Amino acid sequence: MILTRRRFTRLAGMTSAAMALGRGDGGLRAQMRMPAGQPMPPPAPPIPANAAPADFTLDIAPYVLEASPKHRYPTVAYNGQVPGPLLRMKQGREVTVDIHNRSADTEIVHWHGLFLPVATDGAMEEGSPAIAPGGSTRIAFTPDPAGFRWFHTHTFAGNDMRKGQYTGQHGFLMIERDSEAAIASPARYDREVFLALHDWGGREMPSADGSAMPDYEVATINGKMLGFGEPVKVKQGERVMMHVLNSSPTEVHWVALSGHTFHVVALDGNEVPQPAAVPMLRLGPAERVSAIVEMNAPGVWVLGEVRKHVYSMGMGIVVEYANATGAPKWIQPEDLVWDYAQFAAPAPAGGGTCAEPCVEGAAIEIPLVFDSKFQGHGNPEIWRINGKSYPDTDSPVLQAGKRYRLVMKNLSTDDHPIHLHRHTFEVTNVGGASMRGLHKDVLLVPAGRTSTVEFTANHPGNTLFHCHQQDHMDRGFMMVFRYA
Amino acid sequence: MSGLAILLAVFTSSARAQGNYEIQVYGADTVEPKSLMVELHSNFTAEGQKNTIDRVYPTNHQEHETLELTEGLTSWSEVGFYVFTSEQAGHGVQWVGDHIRPRVRVPDSWHWPVGVSLSTEVGYQRAVYSPDTWTWEIRPIVDKTVGRWYFAVNPALERTWHGPDVNQGIGFAPGATFTYDVTKQVNLGLEYYADYCRITSPCGLHDQQQQIFAVTNLNVSPKWEINIGVGVGPTAATDHLIVKGILGRHFDWGHHSAVD
Repeated sequence: MILTRRRFTRLAGMTSAAMALGRGDGGLRAQMRMPAGQPMPPPAPPIPANAAPADFTLDIAPYVLEASPKHRYPTVAYNGQVPGPLLRMKQGREVTVDIHNRSADTEIVHWHGLFLPVATDGAMEEGSPAIAPGGSTRIAFTPDPAGFRWFHTHTFAGNDMRKGQYTGQHGFLMIERDSEAAIASPARYDREVFLALHDWGGREMPSADGSAMPDYEVATINGKMLGFGEPVKVKQGERVMMHVLNSSPTEVHWVALSGHTFHVVALDGNEVPQPAAVPMLRLGPAERVSAIVEMNAPGVWVLGEVRKHVYSMGMGIVVEYANATGAPKWIQPEDLVWDYAQFAAPAPAGGGTCAEPCVEGAAIEIPLVFDSKFQGHGNPEIWRINGKSYPDTDSPVLQAGKRYRLVMKNLSTDDHPIHLHRHTFEVTNVGGASMRGLHKDVLLVPAGRTSTVEFTANHPGNTLFHCHQQDHMDRGFMMVFRYA
Repeated sequence: MSGLAILLAVFTSSARAQGNYEIQVYGADTVEPKSLMVELHSNFTAEGQKNTIDRVYPTNHQEHETLELTEGLTSWSEVGFYVFTSEQAGHGVQWVGDHIRPRVRVPDSWHWPVGVSLSTEVGYQRAVYSPDTWTWEIRPIVDKTVGRWYFAVNPALERTWHGPDVNQGIGFAPGATFTYDVTKQVNLGLEYYADYCRITSPCGLHDQQQQIFAVTNLNVSPKWEINIGVGVGPTAATDHLIVKGILGRHFDWGHHSAVD
């Protein structure tokens, strides 16, 4: 048999994949967050020989991010860029994606916000296969639902803030509706701009509450500090759809565009019942906001982080009108303003919250209490759901077709971006404020309060539920729902 | 050595360390800029020197109240100011002296594996409380947290500018602590203070100051600091039993809006 270079590479990848996944050592198990005793997920199948070219390709490989000439961070990225490529797919039309892992670590790609089977969702805790260093695989899936999604790594980082979501492994994913539905959409715009907020150079630092939390050196938009990236070029009179993603491993971000207002039309890629104009956006880790900005104030402006200390870390991008000159202008907001309720439909009279198609009162309640266990001053806490840390957390069993209400009592002093895989939930209460009609996959659950979401169990298979802060999920803030 | 000479040696050694006014092992952190730390050090010498020697008041049953004000200058520097007072039967409440203490630390951005800072302290104390009236101290500070354990060492060097020990040279007066977080609120540990006299020719054990304190730190709030301890001094040159307490309150006087 003649061993072509292409085939050699593939075989080498398969061999190293088998070696890595067959080791069974604690380090790999920890990296994959697999508890002792639980079977390891199968290795990702290699790309079939003689396969036709895939629709999309992701190369996971080392990369040096240059946030500015003075701020360079060795990291891992998709296709040699941060953020990764913008992938556009059609809702309901199957696609194939080849993923090559040229990094030194076992990797996996999570397709955040899609209703995918476990095999392709991209979470080892659910049983999705991982890709060993040097390995390649091909996945095929049918994208659903439509909207602004994203994809990112879903691996363990622990104390190493150069791994997991601390890396540059994140990219935009736009699932487009068919043309008729698009025409029916009220959100008409002239062009789209995609912006990813991220933090770099993290270290664990003591926090005021006696524990520890990540502290970063720089903050970027689309991988660049303010003044070092290409400006967003716009024209007067344009309606620009800004799709903003907070890909930060741990940080909530607030952004404003000086001289302009955001007309929020979708949260986490799902249209909101009440589009609203707001002066700034707040995004917890993994949240997305889609907002139309009417370009009606010619000039050179800054879209930046509202909080001064984060702005000074570089989180900003220049928005430049055609033919406008001069230094970019930043108008510092004096307050932080955000409320989920302004985009939701009012809660129904009588205190009920259930929206169509659910039946009022039929939701099965699952109480969840979030707290942490002290580990010494200046040390990260261990996080718990109902008093247990992953992998020892409970695994509630869901009945397909039933509706569930997650009652999340957050006893901690942190807000937590809670994410449910493979499903969308309806936000019904945030910290005591009832609402309906807001469909999301991440909710920033406020500290010291109780919030509720409801979802219909209509995507059988293991379903991961976790705080999207990398340091929290690595320290136990996860659980897996199982279907009967 | 005559008895009087021994007593004098004991007293001067004890006085030079000024330890009975501020009994604290420093951590490497500095106070944040635009904020003020106000601490009251209350130290009672339950068993100390009982005789007046060379016009210096005895330490036995002295109650020392020290006001310490520390203002953060930058994210890596601060300056502290002390007012020492003493209350004692027969002498009433007396002002003892004042010190000023600038301090710098290694910035977080240097990413050192341990906390490191350098403090220097200059000040005056009245001769009836300390025969060395003008003194100077330089204090390196190194600390480290490992899990629930915390360690700090302060190998301080002292110099007398005016007083009987002016020709003694550099004195070595280290302090150290290690503590354990029993809970988020309660921390227990030991503090060690010593004075080995001249660094180039340490005095014998008899003349050294050696103190061990059992302490508890109560972390009831980020704004408050509470430290309580009982210390014993086993050597002749040391006050034998001291009860100490520190009550601190952090004041943030800068204007902070939601976006700061």
